[in-house]
Amino acid sequence: MAQHSSKGARFQAVTANRLNDGEVVYFKDNGWIENFAEAEIADGQEAAEALLTRASPDNMEAFILDPYLFEVSESEDGFTPVSVRENIRAKGPTVRTDLGKQAEAG
Amino acid sequence: MPTKTHLISNGAVIDDTWVLIDDETPLDDTPAIISLDRLKAEADALRSRNAKIGVVIRTNTQGKTKLGEDVRELAPYLDMLSTIAIDFPVYRNGRGYSDARILREEMGFEGELRAIGEVLFDQWSFMARCGFDTFEIDASIPVEKFKEALNELSEAYQPAVDNQRGVLWRRHGL
Amino acid sequence: MYRYDEFDHKIVTDRVNQFRGQVNRRISGELSEDAFKPLRLMNGVYLQLHAYMLRVAIPYGTVSSKQMRMLAHIARKYDRGYGHFTTRQNIQYNWPALDRIPDLLEELASVEMHAIQTSGNCIRNVTADQYAGAIADEIEDPRIISEIIRQWSTFHPEFSYLPRKFKIAVTGHENDRAAIKLHDIGIVIVRNDKGETGYEVHVGGGQGRSPFIAKKLTNFVPAEKLLAYLEAVMRVYNMLGRRDNSYKARIKILVHETGETEMRRLVDEEFERIDASQMLSLPEAELDRISAYFAPPNYENLPAQSEVFEAAKGSNADFNHWVKTNLVPHKTPGYGIINISLKPIGGIPGDATDVQMDIIADLAERYALDEVRVTHEQNLVLPHVKLDEAKEVYDILCAHDLATPNIGLISDTIACPGLDYCNLANARSIPLAQEISTHFADLDKQYDIGELKIKISGCINACGHHHVGHIGILGVDKKGTEFYQISLGGSADEQASLGDITGQAFTEDKVVDAVDTIVETYLNLRQPEERFLDTYRRVGMSPFKEQLYAD
Repeated sequence: MAQHSSKGARFQAVTANRLNDGEVVYFKDNGWIENFAEAEIADGQEAAEALLTRASPDNMEAFILDPYLFEVSESEDGFTPVSVRENIRAKGPTVRTDLGKQAEAG
Repeated sequence: MPTKTHLISNGAVIDDTWVLIDDETPLDDTPAIISLDRLKAEADALRSRNAKIGVVIRTNTQGKTKLGEDVRELAPYLDMLSTIAIDFPVYRNGRGYSDARILREEMGFEGELRAIGEVLFDQWSFMARCGFDTFEIDASIPVEKFKEALNELSEAYQPAVDNQRGVLWRRHGL
Repeated sequence: MYRYDEFDHKIVTDRVNQFRGQVNRRISGELSEDAFKPLRLMNGVYLQLHAYMLRVAIPYGTVSSKQMRMLAHIARKYDRGYGHFTTRQNIQYNWPALDRIPDLLEELASVEMHAIQTSGNCIRNVTADQYAGAIADEIEDPRIISEIIRQWSTFHPEFSYLPRKFKIAVTGHENDRAAIKLHDIGIVIVRNDKGETGYEVHVGGGQGRSPFIAKKLTNFVPAEKLLAYLEAVMRVYNMLGRRDNSYKARIKILVHETGETEMRRLVDEEFERIDASQMLSLPEAELDRISAYFAPPNYENLPAQSEVFEAAKGSNADFNHWVKTNLVPHKTPGYGIINISLKPIGGIPGDATDVQMDIIADLAERYALDEVRVTHEQNLVLPHVKLDEAKEVYDILCAHDLATPNIGLISDTIACPGLDYCNLANARSIPLAQEISTHFADLDKQYDIGELKIKISGCINACGHHHVGHIGILGVDKKGTEFYQISLGGSADEQASLGDITGQAFTEDKVVDAVDTIVETYLNLRQPEERFLDTYRRVGMSPFKEQLYAD
């Protein structure tokens, strides 16, 4: 599996999949949301680790699978995931733009 | 691995009268499970000892050359063994299933065969089919649940150590 | 086709109930993800990038129209209107919710299908020649022994926690369409000097990180002893296979490290012990019972030449092209084997919609003696179609974008789901297949190029069979960006070979150019009648390399 964050990553967010349907979710304000655009962004490694810690309390495991940090970058339109993998997770299959989050946003 | 375990043998919880003894500790008169190395080294002395003896077979995963101990090395000692414990270091390591069948079918071992280590719900029925009769499992699991697990799959296609001949044969009254 | 008896039904039903219990325990929180993961995997449920994925077994690639309709129904009811046929003759659904999978499995069980052992370190779905029972010069229908292997391997108590997954493929024909030399065990049905049918067993082939061609361990095992022989191979593997490193845990590594001769000795020794007990000697009555299900269907007595068919070819050039690429001679006069391409130009290899699956089910019922086959090259087959009716079938296929005349050609690409879906992938596969297919869309060009098999994997696990592509493409990840390594000269048939890597990997936008360069180099170098693979085997890598890395 690809690496989710490079060593010098500045901005990161936390993502996971939901237990009952596998949906991609992002951490925000002690809860989980489906839309990457609303994800909580940590600035710096310390903040990132704190964010992951908040996202991984023991009782979450029951319905959220394997939360992890991934790198995002800032641009004029806000934040976007750095890796191809996380972009695809945030939107849906690039070969089926009628499916996944990109379709719902449509 | 569960911290507290209990022993289920032939469908009932039993007291474990056996003690696992390491290679350095001298043996007293209680039934003792020892390592394969010790069994081989002290076999003559053990034959004259006045208490039951058992052996544990370790199924290591570490390193290329350490495949785990070979149950076939037990052949000269089978008559003196009352129990053989097969260790499952992690549930994914299924080498012990072959060990059990070799002991039962090829070597004719009729004593207690116990599964120890990571011995989980969804493995019990396969273990039983391979010849295990005794299971060291999480003490919080009641015996009823254990029996339930054994009966989840009521038919089997292939023969094994248990009494089932296998559907491929039973279809023809064999 | 095989039909379940009460035992088969009971086994599959018990499994559905067992899995329902496991899912309930997981959702209620009683089971942790760590404990649940191996259980769901044993039943073909993966967690992928966007959702769960369920892999449903299509044993030896054979389905009835009723089963195909069920696959369509499941795509509609539990998924998003489509399914993906894989290189292991399975179908995958990309979006089912975990809590609905038990109901889905119950519906599948009602048509004698399941997801048992489509994942996990156990004996996986048995695959076989897609032309089984329909092609001429077959020694025996490979589905007979495949069904026996399916049953024997289902919930095998000794071999459900192997060092790694285990794949078995069977062919009954000298032309290998099941890639048997690239399987953990490959079985070739043979006939000995006395005219008896038996099995040649190849062991230790495979792709992935370290690809190997299987070694032939025995020339002949009689039918009643095959299960004992297989059990011997499995036991040697379970006892001696490496468990310290998952990349070295497949039987191919054991065979490689042990050596062919010693491996043969170990298996023979184990076989002698197992065979001595007679426990696994297959009853003749059972062999007969299962064989009867695969007896030839009731073919009509037809002339070898069909006037309707010949006339249609004469008057319709498109049909004529399609016949040349997609229709294969049947063993029975007046019949043909029809390949349905799931590789429309620019489409997603192996995907079929619920509507397409329903149409194919109808065609099978009406025209193909109720059978459909799945090929390891991700296409479908109607195995027994009357030549008189081939044009009618063609017209219906055309209306549903299922008549692309490209079987075996450059646009008939194998591609794994890749990074568009798969959690293990490093790079996307499907977009490359689409770009290549679009680039070579011109059919005259494709016919001129001739047989050329491109196979694309999105990671080193090689689900897209890149090692055995005439042109193989492997996606790699470099710091979150996709790169593609190209190899040449692989082949999965009876003359199996592994491809050679051309050199440095290409960025995504350079792959189509690279393939084009390879094709042009071949066209310039080829001698009359030479296929790409022949030319490559004759001239080797250098001329291709020179052109690819010229500037």
